[in-house]
Amino acid sequence: MIRLFSLLLLFGLIFVFPVLVLVFYAASSAWAFPEVIPSAYDLRSLTYLWIHRGDIAVSLFSSCGYSFGAILVTLLLTVLPAKLFARTCFTGKTLLEGLFLAPALIPPMAFAMGAHYIFLYLGISDTFIGVVLILSLYSYPYMLRALTAGYQTYGEDYALCARNIGASALRILLTIEIPLLLPAIVAGGTIVFLVSFSEYFLVFLIGGGTVPSYSGYIFPLLNSSDKSVASLLTLVFLFIPVLLFFIIDRLVYATYRKRGMM
Amino acid sequence: MRRVYILCSLLPLLLPFLAIIGGGLLITGLQSFGLFMFSYTYEDMFFAYKELFTDSWFVESAMFSLYVALTATLISIVLGTLFAYLIWKLPGRYHSRTVIYKIPLILPHIAVGFIAVILLSKTGILSSIAYQLGFIDSFESFPNLLYTRSGIDLIIAYIYKETPFVMVMVYAILSRFDRRLIDTAGMLGASTLRSFFTLILPFIMPVLNTTFIILFIFSFGGFDLPFVLGDSYPGMITIRIYEYFFQKDMAMRPVAMAMLTLVFTFSLIFIFTYLKFSSRLERGVRKL
Repeated sequence: MIRLFSLLLLFGLIFVFPVLVLVFYAASSAWAFPEVIPSAYDLRSLTYLWIHRGDIAVSLFSSCGYSFGAILVTLLLTVLPAKLFARTCFTGKTLLEGLFLAPALIPPMAFAMGAHYIFLYLGISDTFIGVVLILSLYSYPYMLRALTAGYQTYGEDYALCARNIGASALRILLTIEIPLLLPAIVAGGTIVFLVSFSEYFLVFLIGGGTVPSYSGYIFPLLNSSDKSVASLLTLVFLFIPVLLFFIIDRLVYATYRKRGMM
Repeated sequence: MRRVYILCSLLPLLLPFLAIIGGGLLITGLQSFGLFMFSYTYEDMFFAYKELFTDSWFVESAMFSLYVALTATLISIVLGTLFAYLIWKLPGRYHSRTVIYKIPLILPHIAVGFIAVILLSKTGILSSIAYQLGFIDSFESFPNLLYTRSGIDLIIAYIYKETPFVMVMVYAILSRFDRRLIDTAGMLGASTLRSFFTLILPFIMPVLNTTFIILFIFSFGGFDLPFVLGDSYPGMITIRIYEYFFQKDMAMRPVAMAMLTLVFTFSLIFIFTYLKFSSRLERGVRKL
């Protein structure tokens, strides 16, 4: 017990303390040196949130939109290759697996700035589709890894049984593969969402300012003198993903209960 | 038939990969030689590279990036391993209660940069705490932590962001470690320290290698965090690239592309090292 509390205290001090500072900043009216805890509080930052609710909502919706778009696209890109990597051995497999990891390893700037030229040529720079594409190509390795691990946790037998009793390929996909892969999809999708939602540079480069994003919205405010508003908006950055994960976690749990898989 | 199946399974990923990642890298490379540069033409194909190497700023920026990435990653690896080990040593039922350490994983880099500014500035929170505790008598005597050559703001921010990542990776592999080995070693008289270095460390080493390479390249080529933490001389190389790409004359863009090509070539060397290590990883461990 004592070990647990001292470890929690340590983690609290290192990892939670900075976020607590944000909470205090968001509620303070003026927090100046040398106060350790602000002496005056007001609702200025909340008022700001309310006045600019239109812009903030648009940027949040756009950010969530392209992040979910990226989840969908990465899923489409990786579901077949993941099955192949999990179930089949072929020459060049290790090489290909390594090659496909590249976007998570090389600095994204290196391909994104060249890809910007290609997107200009294709006419999809400064568009929502362009942003979804670049984020998907940057973050799919996480989905690929999660799905490969997911396919490895169960064999081909379920699908074989279903085929024997006459199920179509689509039916097998919908009633067997997707439910069994759901935890892997959630795990991979979580990372893809986080990476896409928090990315600033790629959205700025490919979206060119015409695709609204929450990171693009708060960026100028982070350097402004009003730390109170910037703190509150930063907390929203933390709050949205946590809220979404909570909802999805509950949904997955409920689905599993209903199907009697738990 | 088998080949057709393999090829068809790979195509949905292979085609976009080749078009956007492959094509993007190709364009970056070509533009660094002044080719495919819209309507611009250059007499000397190597003008961008010559420009870079006559400018000592480039070399200094590259060295600064290397230094920041290396320092931050090494410290994160040591701290993350230690913390993951401490969690693992707790009785099993307490493990999930330590979940608070995952907060920095959710915070975007630009948010972490902002937090670094409000904590570390001369009139910031740490300065106030130091004043109240009597370590300093005015904010003037608080050390300069932001925007300096020491890059300490960048290093601290990267450590905050990367340590939980190391913890997740190390904890995942530790949970597959057979605790009975520790008990046996203990019965034979090994100290905790000795068990850690002779049993646990070799076991988690492949994961540490992989994590090191991922985080090192990530912080070396990261843009968001240095962009929030402002510019200082010599500054991270990614900021130099950004300036050449967006702020200078379009005709200077090959210089940005030349820097990117060099950064990419440098990363490639690391990826080959990674492949060497990752084949050693057990198949089942690959959660990420």
